[in-house]
Amino acid sequence: MTIQDQGEVRIETEADIAVARRAVRDLAAKIGFGITETARIVTAVSELGRNVHKYAGGGVMQWHALKNGGNAGLELRFEDQGPGIADINEAMREGYSTGGGLGMGLPGAKRLMDHLDIQSTVGKGTTVTVRKWRRQ
Amino acid sequence: MNVNETISVIQIRNVLLVTMPADPDDSTIAALQERTLEAMNNRDVQGLVLDLSKVEILDSYFARTVAETAQMVGLMGGTTIIAGMRPAVAITATELGVTLGRTRTVMTVERALELAGQRQVNGKQQR
Repeated sequence: MTIQDQGEVRIETEADIAVARRAVRDLAAKIGFGITETARIVTAVSELGRNVHKYAGGGVMQWHALKNGGNAGLELRFEDQGPGIADINEAMREGYSTGGGLGMGLPGAKRLMDHLDIQSTVGKGTTVTVRKWRRQ
Repeated sequence: MNVNETISVIQIRNVLLVTMPADPDDSTIAALQERTLEAMNNRDVQGLVLDLSKVEILDSYFARTVAETAQMVGLMGGTTIIAGMRPAVAITATELGVTLGRTRTVMTVERALELAGQRQVNGKQQR
C-alpha cells in the first residue's frame, strides 16, 4: 500500500467541518469514486469532523490518497487532543452519545466506510482512521 | 457566502418553498430552522415544501434539524412536505441510520406543491 498524495484540514470551527467535506469531495472525485460512494465518504467526514469539533474543541483531519496494486482508495485520519474515549466499545454502540448527539457518528461512519479504527487515551486524545477503496 | 451555501425562501400562493443548497454548513442549516419558522409566522402561509433536490449530503445534524423543523411547523399548525431527495443521499442517510421522523416525502417539488395546494383547497371547502 503506497501513499500517492496527502494533505490536512484543521477543524476548529463548525464551518471547518464543511471545509473538510469539500476537501474530501475533491479528493474522492480525483480518485474516481462514484456519486453514492462519494456521498458515503463525505457523510462519514461530516460525522467524524463534527465529533472532533464537539467533543475535543478541534483537531485535524489528515487525508491520504492510496494505491494498493491496481486498487485506488483513500484514508482519513481525525486526530484531536481532547478528553479521549474511556470505553471505545461503548462509543461504537448504536445510539450511544455523551455529547447530546444522536450517537450515530462512530457506528454510522463505520457502516459508510470499509474500515474504521479508533485509538484513544483518556486525557490525551483520540485518533479515528477510516479507509475506503474504490470498487472496480 | 457562495452559491453552495445559501437558502432560498419563496412563497408560492400560500405555500412556503424553501430550497436547501448542495452542501450547507452548520450555520446555514441552523438558519433553515429560524428563517422557515419566521416566514411561516410573518407570511400568510399554511404549508412548507422543503426542496432537498440540490442537497448532496444529509448527515445526522442536518437530518435532525429537518425533522425538528417539520415538527415545529406542525406545532404552528402547518404541514411539511420534503421533496426531491437524491438517490445517493437516500442510500447514505439510511446506512448512516438517520430518519426524518414522520415527515411526508415526495419525489419532486412539483408534486409537493400540488399536494400542499390541494390541502388548502380542501381546507377552504370544509369551511
